Amino acid sequence: MRPYFEKMSEFGKPLGEAQIRRSEENLKQIREVEKDLAQRIQRVREAGLPAEKLNARGEWTVYQRLEYLLDPGTWCPLHTLFDPMDEESGTTGVVDGLGRISGKWAVVIGFDNKVWAGAWIAGQAENILRVTDIAKRLHVPLVWLVNCSGVKLPEQEKVYANRRGNGTPFFRHAELEKMGIPVLAGIWGTNPAGGGYQGISPTYLIAHKNANIAVGGGGIVSGMSPKGFFDLEGAEQIIEATRKYKEVPPGRVEIHHGATGFFREVYDTEEGVLDALKEHMRDMPAYNPRFFRVAEPAEPKFSPQEIERIVPFNQKASYSLEEVLARLTDNSEHMEFRPDYGPEVYTGLAKVDGYLVGLIGNRQGFLPKGYPDYAPYPGIGGKLYRQGLIKMNEFVTLCGRDRIPIIWFQDTSGIDVGDYAEKAELLGLGQSLIYSIEQTDVPMMLVVLRKGTAAAHYIMGGPNANNHNAFTLGTPTTEIYVMHGETAAVASYSRRLVKEKDAGRPLEPIIEKMNELARHYYEKSRPAYCAKMGFVDEVVSFADIRKYMVAFTGCVYQNPRSFCPHHHMMLPRIIKG
Amino acid sequence: MSIEITAPMAGKIIEVKVKVGDPVQEDDELFTLEAMKMEMPIVATSGGTVKEIKVEAGQAVEGDQVLAVLD
Repeated sequence: MRPYFEKMSEFGKPLGEAQIRRSEENLKQIREVEKDLAQRIQRVREAGLPAEKLNARGEWTVYQRLEYLLDPGTWCPLHTLFDPMDEESGTTGVVDGLGRISGKWAVVIGFDNKVWAGAWIAGQAENILRVTDIAKRLHVPLVWLVNCSGVKLPEQEKVYANRRGNGTPFFRHAELEKMGIPVLAGIWGTNPAGGGYQGISPTYLIAHKNANIAVGGGGIVSGMSPKGFFDLEGAEQIIEATRKYKEVPPGRVEIHHGATGFFREVYDTEEGVLDALKEHMRDMPAYNPRFFRVAEPAEPKFSPQEIERIVPFNQKASYSLEEVLARLTDNSEHMEFRPDYGPEVYTGLAKVDGYLVGLIGNRQGFLPKGYPDYAPYPGIGGKLYRQGLIKMNEFVTLCGRDRIPIIWFQDTSGIDVGDYAEKAELLGLGQSLIYSIEQTDVPMMLVVLRKGTAAAHYIMGGPNANNHNAFTLGTPTTEIYVMHGETAAVASYSRRLVKEKDAGRPLEPIIEKMNELARHYYEKSRPAYCAKMGFVDEVVSFADIRKYMVAFTGCVYQNPRSFCPHHHMMLPRIIKG
Repeated sequence: MSIEITAPMAGKIIEVKVKVGDPVQEDDELFTLEAMKMEMPIVATSGGTVKEIKVEAGQAVEGDQVLAVLD
């Protein structure tokens, strides 16, 4: 199949001088958003105790551990601004992402030991479950940096119970193990109760000499005989017990290395634990990249940085999706699937780091005359019509057959509406795409370049495709909402306007409400809000999108559960004809 | 040879980016058309000089209406 893949068709062209001049204002607007995001990220990194305080105790922070553990330049953080329950620290107390360790890709997560000593805090369980989902979807090891003080007791009702509470990750670890996905853990500090299970539930436990894991920590053990109230005598007993267990907490290394052997290895230093994790990652199952690569890796001919001059901050302005894709794909090459059909959507094959991927995205701007062919009105890019939906169904299905991972690029204002659209079966074809995705069982990644709107946000590989979408990225121009705020205001208040008009009452109060709703929609759809609520798993600069694509494809092809021999693939042959 | 630049669909011209006598190259933006809540550039289909501009900013136009003539 070398003739198909080694050299595909080139696409894209250099930016013109006029385009560079015109995009200066665009850059300013994007920089404003990036500045705001950078400040938010800095606040997350500085949450809790200062690093110096931990270092003075002889402990590293989770960020220092990650820096030592990961291969330089490979870290792709996820969920940095995720804080869906407004935790007082502004974080979920865990730090995670994709990264390479000793040359192998892994999903990596660690407790932020600066925040409540790595406690279970609000929003954390959902974060951890997303992370275990990523490891499951990408079939790569999950590496834990455990340093967990257990439940933040004053807010136990927010973390302890529930179907997706902090106990659920322990079942997910077991699920990953059932699927043959190893969970490696480095363990530091005091890990009582929930922290104890965080320590015991992974596959292979490597402890620092001062680490302990226990069913219940000193605090619980010393308060196990309640008499219904507290008095002076009771307080004295608590003080004595606490002193004892602080000195000698349950589940120390001498117990869980010396007696039970749960800790398979113990090290005296921070470096020792992390070096052991690196050593084990070296042994993790992984194909040599050449086994699946279809060509030598190559950078795009045009810099990914230029995408910020192509995608307009103005949500109404159009641009060329192909120019974006040409800045993300190896050598700026591709093989387009059905270029003469469904013009509102791009579908095609390309290479990322030498691996084959399927790309799907919304085109913008004018569509050819007479399209959509089922209606008397013209079509426009960003919307989905009959042919585009059929084409995506075909492409997704063939990617499933050929075991090719898919990267989606959304900038969509939704699916066409009205009786013409209904007669053209768009409702059914949208759900058909969901069905097609669900049948593929190939990993997918989504970039919401700009708009993620209406059901189109679901059906185009959206985060809702829980079994397929490994993660979703936002950009500084991302907006996610059910519909544009002004559209929502009209939908909500149009009848009221008529009623007030007919009654001869002033319209201004209704108009004010409409403006307020539109503002509310805008504020609740911005990149930072999307990241906080988890609509996206991370907001990245345009220049970094390719880095995440490389991480995604590297993970997908590291140790896949199934694959199609290159010479058995049909999609490239169907494209060639 | 004269080349007519036409509106691809009905909408409103929100910006005229050239004036009569301007030299233009293929793909240069001549107008911005707003239609269906989107703004789209109308570009020169070939290089030349702007001979005539038939619309102004704010004007509603029909599909296929001639917007400018290039020489």
